[in-house]
Amino acid sequence: MKTNQKKAWIFLAPTLLFVTFFSIWPIIRAFIMSFQSGSLINLSWSGFSNYQYIFKDPEFWLAIKNTILYALISVPVALAISIMLAWLIFSKIKNKGLFETTFFMPYVTSTIAIGIVFRYIFNGEYGMLNFILRFLHLPAPNWIDDPAMSLTTIIIFGIWTSLAFNIVILMGALRNIDPNYYTIADMYGASGTEKFWRITMPQLVPTIAFLLTMNIIAAFKVYTSVYALFNGQAGVGNSATTAVFYIYNKFQIVGTPGVAMAATVILFIIIMFVTFLQRKMMKKIGGH
Amino acid sequence: MKNIRWGTLVAYIILAIFAIITIFPFVYMILGGLMTFQETTTIPPTLIPKHFQWGNFSKVFAQAPFARYFLNTFITASVTTIVSLFNALLGAFAMVNLRFKGKGVVQALLLSLLMVPGEAIIFTNYNTIARLGLLNTYVGLVLPFLTSVFYMYYLQSYFGSISPTIYKAAKINGASDWEYIWRILVPMSKGGLFTVGLLSFISGWNSFLWPLLVTNEDSMRLLNNGLTAFASDAGSETELQLAAATLTVLPILILYFIFRKQIIRGVVRNDLKG
Repeated sequence: MKTNQKKAWIFLAPTLLFVTFFSIWPIIRAFIMSFQSGSLINLSWSGFSNYQYIFKDPEFWLAIKNTILYALISVPVALAISIMLAWLIFSKIKNKGLFETTFFMPYVTSTIAIGIVFRYIFNGEYGMLNFILRFLHLPAPNWIDDPAMSLTTIIIFGIWTSLAFNIVILMGALRNIDPNYYTIADMYGASGTEKFWRITMPQLVPTIAFLLTMNIIAAFKVYTSVYALFNGQAGVGNSATTAVFYIYNKFQIVGTPGVAMAATVILFIIIMFVTFLQRKMMKKIGGH
Repeated sequence: MKNIRWGTLVAYIILAIFAIITIFPFVYMILGGLMTFQETTTIPPTLIPKHFQWGNFSKVFAQAPFARYFLNTFITASVTTIVSLFNALLGAFAMVNLRFKGKGVVQALLLSLLMVPGEAIIFTNYNTIARLGLLNTYVGLVLPFLTSVFYMYYLQSYFGSISPTIYKAAKINGASDWEYIWRILVPMSKGGLFTVGLLSFISGWNSFLWPLLVTNEDSMRLLNNGLTAFASDAGSETELQLAAATLTVLPILILYFIFRKQIIRGVVRNDLKG
């Protein structure tokens, strides 16, 4: 088996090479740059000044606030809807494949293209959504052009886009539940609700914990959907700016890469923290 | 019995409502792309255009180099997929079948890299690509994505389910590792490789932030970036924007409907283990 030594490294070489240059080095570089100021070609050490800057910057706090609100609202709502839909498909529908195929469509399609479509559906004057809301005599707000509404609009779009992945993963988990549990429950005359809360939910806990983490991490990185909905802006008057928007803006538009990297480091720490919490949680549950 | 039927009916109604909410944007996009400008902005909104305006598509192609965007996107997504699949194949083979010192370290390193959010490294990668003078090139567009730890990990779990005795038998019969990979491993895991390829191609096709950073010339843009630029330029021509969006989404939707089973199965397997 000794002959394997060299060979193994040769087979792994392309992966390790790319990973070193485009995953490991960029992380180190980001940390270094967060302590530097100046333009990309002319960086110099500046200690903690970038961090001091972002902590004093109201725009940064708005971005963090928006991102956290987005994550805290869209993730649980989307997950609850997904659990309901997956359970309904699983327990009541014969042609499961049809619904699964339908609900999964948003996952494979471009967020940009669909975001542009949503911009028209959300249009305050001639949009389809407000037409329906007016028809039902409900308030029809200006989803796109009212700064007070922009975060709500993003949350609705975010829920729409994240159902796909959740439902498909939940369906996979539901299929893995031992059918004998249900057979025995039927023998004892358990109702549908009882079966759901006593058998299905406990069995789904590891999957739900996994989806919660994946969704929260994705929510912290929200960018593309905002860009598409508001035509490259973060809502009217930057009202819906998010963490990645802030980073992009500081890096590319304002030209202060050090500030952008300080914000990146903060975002990175938040995401690592969420991942860490999930690991702890999963270990407690005793799942995978 | 009656209770059960009511339950099923309610389930169907709820599912139907959400199915409509899911499909509606796609339907509206396709139909809206075939409307006249007036039809896209009337109150009440038009759903079905009076006459299908197929001319909208030729207008889109005339106003922006969408053919070029298609070509760029196709090249980028294909190259990324093929090369990263090749790298993942070799790496996953080594991790599953070969024994070597430091394997545990490599595994731990790759696993921890899985947790690194792409957005945290994309800007420093931009810096690297800019320094190499690769902005607005195909090489710059694909370079950081030629390896995917994620897909390597996926293939590892796939190869792990193939009995190690097959590898030993191949070695005893005098096959080299290279021959084992191409004659046995690849044919045996065609399904898995194909699924990974599809998922990689789709995510390449839909990529947005990276190409936005590394391209600013119109001729090097990818579909999604071309689409957002077009949406700003053709700001008032709603029907053309929707037609352009249709052009972007349709190829992937067709691919999806053909291979929906493989794609869904792949995602489920992928993410529960990742």
